[in-house]
Amino acid sequence: MSRHLIRAGVLAAFVVVPFYLEGFWLQAGLFAMSAAVGAIGLNLLTGATGQLSMGHAFFLAVGAYAYVYFAAEPTGSLGGLGLPTPLAAVLAVVLSGAAGGLFSPIAGRLKGAYLGIATLALIFLGQHLLFNAGPVTGGFNGRAVPPLELFGFVFSDAPELVVMDVPFGALERLWFLGGAVLLAAALFARGVLRGRPGRAMNTIRDHEIAAGVMGVPVARYRAGVFVLSSMYGGLAGVLLALVFQRTVPDYFGMLLSLDYLAMIVIGGLGSVGGAVIGAVFVSLLPQLLTRYGDALPLVAAPGSGDGVSPAEAARLLYGAAVVAVVLFLPGGLLGLLHSLRRRLPGLRLPLSANPTPSPETRS
Amino acid sequence: MITFLELLVNGISIGAVYALIALGFVVIFKATDVVNFAHASLLLAGGYVVARLHAAIGFWPALLAGIAVAAVLGALVEFLVIRRSKAATHGVLAIVTIGVDIVLTTELTRRIGAEVLAMGDPWGSRVVHLGPVPVAETRLVALVTAALLIAVFLLAFKFTGWGVAMRATAEDPETAALMGVRLGRVSLSAWAVAGALAAVAALFLCVFPTPGLDRGASFAALKAFPAAILGGLDSTTGALVGGLVVGVTEALMTGYQNDLTFLGRGIGDVAPFLVMIAILLLRPAGLFGTKELARV
Amino acid sequence: MSTNRKAVVAALVSLALAATACASGKATGGDGQASATGGDGVKTGPGVTADTITLSLLTDLTGPYASLGKSLTQAQQLYFDQVNQAGGVCGRKIETVVRDHGYDAQKAMASYAEVAPKTAAIPQFIGSPMVTALKDKINADKVLTIPMAWATGLLGSEAIQVTGTTYDVDMINGVDFLVKEKGLKSGDKIGHLYFEGDYGESALAGSTYAAGKLGLTVVEQKIKATDQDMTAQVAAFKKAGVKAVLVSVGPRQAASLVGVALAGGMDVPFMGSNSAYSPQLLDTPAAPALLKDFYYVTAGAPISAPLPAYQKLIADYGAKYAGQPLDSGVAAGWTAAVIVGDALRKACESKDLSRAGILAAHRSQKAWEAGLGGTPMDFSVYDRPASRSSYIVKPDKDAVGGATLVKEAAVSELAEGYTVPTAG
Repeated sequence: MSRHLIRAGVLAAFVVVPFYLEGFWLQAGLFAMSAAVGAIGLNLLTGATGQLSMGHAFFLAVGAYAYVYFAAEPTGSLGGLGLPTPLAAVLAVVLSGAAGGLFSPIAGRLKGAYLGIATLALIFLGQHLLFNAGPVTGGFNGRAVPPLELFGFVFSDAPELVVMDVPFGALERLWFLGGAVLLAAALFARGVLRGRPGRAMNTIRDHEIAAGVMGVPVARYRAGVFVLSSMYGGLAGVLLALVFQRTVPDYFGMLLSLDYLAMIVIGGLGSVGGAVIGAVFVSLLPQLLTRYGDALPLVAAPGSGDGVSPAEAARLLYGAAVVAVVLFLPGGLLGLLHSLRRRLPGLRLPLSANPTPSPETRS
Repeated sequence: MITFLELLVNGISIGAVYALIALGFVVIFKATDVVNFAHASLLLAGGYVVARLHAAIGFWPALLAGIAVAAVLGALVEFLVIRRSKAATHGVLAIVTIGVDIVLTTELTRRIGAEVLAMGDPWGSRVVHLGPVPVAETRLVALVTAALLIAVFLLAFKFTGWGVAMRATAEDPETAALMGVRLGRVSLSAWAVAGALAAVAALFLCVFPTPGLDRGASFAALKAFPAAILGGLDSTTGALVGGLVVGVTEALMTGYQNDLTFLGRGIGDVAPFLVMIAILLLRPAGLFGTKELARV
Repeated sequence: MSTNRKAVVAALVSLALAATACASGKATGGDGQASATGGDGVKTGPGVTADTITLSLLTDLTGPYASLGKSLTQAQQLYFDQVNQAGGVCGRKIETVVRDHGYDAQKAMASYAEVAPKTAAIPQFIGSPMVTALKDKINADKVLTIPMAWATGLLGSEAIQVTGTTYDVDMINGVDFLVKEKGLKSGDKIGHLYFEGDYGESALAGSTYAAGKLGLTVVEQKIKATDQDMTAQVAAFKKAGVKAVLVSVGPRQAASLVGVALAGGMDVPFMGSNSAYSPQLLDTPAAPALLKDFYYVTAGAPISAPLPAYQKLIADYGAKYAGQPLDSGVAAGWTAAVIVGDALRKACESKDLSRAGILAAHRSQKAWEAGLGGTPMDFSVYDRPASRSSYIVKPDKDAVGGATLVKEAAVSELAEGYTVPTAG
């Protein structure tokens, strides 16, 4: 009973947020939501199946650029298909999956470090394509992202919309879309993890040969999970493009891939809740430090010269967090929440009792 | 033809530097089964020490100091981080090294700031002519150094107690431990050796033809990843061959860029990775890597 | 289902909450940043109060352009400090907010979203990928923004003021110099080493145009910012037999290029874009090669130019930030700060410090010149570079800022007739 109440409370809080918080927070929240979708996908691959991927940013790029290409009207030197935007979004996710499928001869056969570095090739190849395939990607300039239009409702600043005296711009509208997408992505991933495929994936991670002996088609599973995780990456890319309103190639580099790996390790490997918590942590930390850096000891104001600047402090903290979590919190931040809950039964956290938590932990 | 030879020689000489970095990956992978993504930061640390000290204590002592610092740093990473997270899988350990890399690189680049630091090496920008082909002296030294170091490693693996212990560990850690091999010591020494190799590589990356050490110097370490993988992550020979393949591919693709415009400009950076993918498709464990044996 | 009902109830309650609590800062029923008129009869807007004007510097202090960012930021803070000491603008003190995005588009967007609601103008925004990503928002917000990048893709927005020339115009003037002073002639080949991205590719557009007009052939070599060793590129240029090389890369790559070329017996002049040189290089082994036959083109005068404004800047900057390099970033940052300062003063004259007012005041200046040399800039157009004249400058160990003037600012006929490609 109380769990339902908590869920309703979380939902209510989620709905109220865009009525109060300013654009900066909404944008940060949307980045976190997009990151959470991508991190869930990577956690299926790396956390649950044990396949290291450093190429996640490539699939985000495929999703983001494919959406733009499918949705945009062709102009001058730039091509486009001018499809209805929801269809373009779906096709972009499918295309990301197909890109992952093309990589399956590698993804199905390699594992561990070999796969990790092989996927690094995707980043370099992706950057090369983004810069050189000008008619599709807009080259170094990137492209403007057409706003999503769902049943006549446009997710952009125009036409003006005022809900209960609060002006509803692109960020406020996308907030609800992001929430819905994240919820759906989380529920689906939870279904996968709790069902037969999830058990097979964990067996491949823990003991590949045993999995083979037990009748799990290992190579097919590896390739399949790779495709699924690519589609999550693509979906995250579409959402990100909608928030950015413009795609720029530099963004989809190796650092982005490393960020995603850090998210799932910090949050907790192998679970949906872990991915979400990690995504929120990694996306919000630098922004919080930059914004409130002035109030922190040891952190120098940007531009003041000596000392650790907020951006550096954020990177140091985030690197240290990755190390600290692996050393001291094998279950990640999610595991920490669980053990807190066990130790303090009076503490009511919105986590379900089973190992894979419900996605409501995002707030 | 002269251009081809020139590109080839230059590719081989930069490939030798990549081979040194790749050798560091290989040594660590053999001993601990971990891919060390923090290698780039060890490289930066070694180079930083050399660049800061050479003016005060002379180049050779500074180089020794740089090697020592990078070796100690490598050993510290093993002792403080890798050893203490034994329970985690190797994939997770690889991600931990990313965390270590971020911390070290952030601090080092903060110290380097906007400067370009000269290494104070004795070779300067002199060029030697091998027949009609000009080669930088620094690159010849790099080539010779890399060849010597790799030969030493091959011999050490075969004939010294340390090498036998390391091979035994790579083969089967549990049996090795039962036979009296001290796994901790093997792993610690591997990380120290890799650190030392990184410092040597840093020296050659930051002397002529590049102006010196700056905050971006560690990016070159990225190119050693395809080198290590396509040679085979557990093969010393593989590191050498992989480094040369990457260096030559990169040099030739760049040199003939104008004849390859259909591939897009700047293909030289992507080509090593494409070669790596092609090799992995044919040989999933790299050219010289051992295929993992199934032990149930 | 009771759960569903509860959820619905809760959602409705929350909506009601939102509705009643319209006291939230956002619920103003329209433009929350509507202009107001202060007690002194000056119309104000976001970032302007009765006694302060807030300007935001969106810079890179931890990424690849950290050295540029530091010089720009310090120079601008120096200028605004001096303005405040002299009583401020319009009776208001200027406050600067510095945000470091580390050359990351997402962080830059976040920083913009954070500072924009309380910012009157942005005298520094590093990184054309970042400015490009935010172009539409900046235009919609009407915040006067000076990008610290000179790519052609940044032209064409009313709110964005690219200072001086763009990279392509610089390269045209550079090629013109090579032909007139360095003996290049029709039929010759000319190399161009450039970065992937808008900087390099804008410059390439200029060199291609100039080469086409003058009967030269451009031999292209594109590299990435992470490339360090230019040996293969030099070999390719040698193979093609180029008579000169244009350099639109970072200082590190430029140093490698000229060093390798000199050591390998390739004795040709080099002409860099203004971002290809940094005085720090003169402390490295690359110095002799740079001092030999390397030049660079820039819209701003080198800080060593004999201008009273610069002499004062050198003295003041040296006093405040002793021992820090006086590179081109100091001059560029200072110039941009003066441009914003002048726009604010002009806006004050017309008693309108709203963003639109500041922008209109800025755009009303057809021939801006503040004793900083160069030809006057025309701010009334924004689909073309504000100026087409560039200086030719050369590294010099003894000059302040490590560079000295070779040729006064001039517009080549070629640059005059050049039409800037429209941004995509």
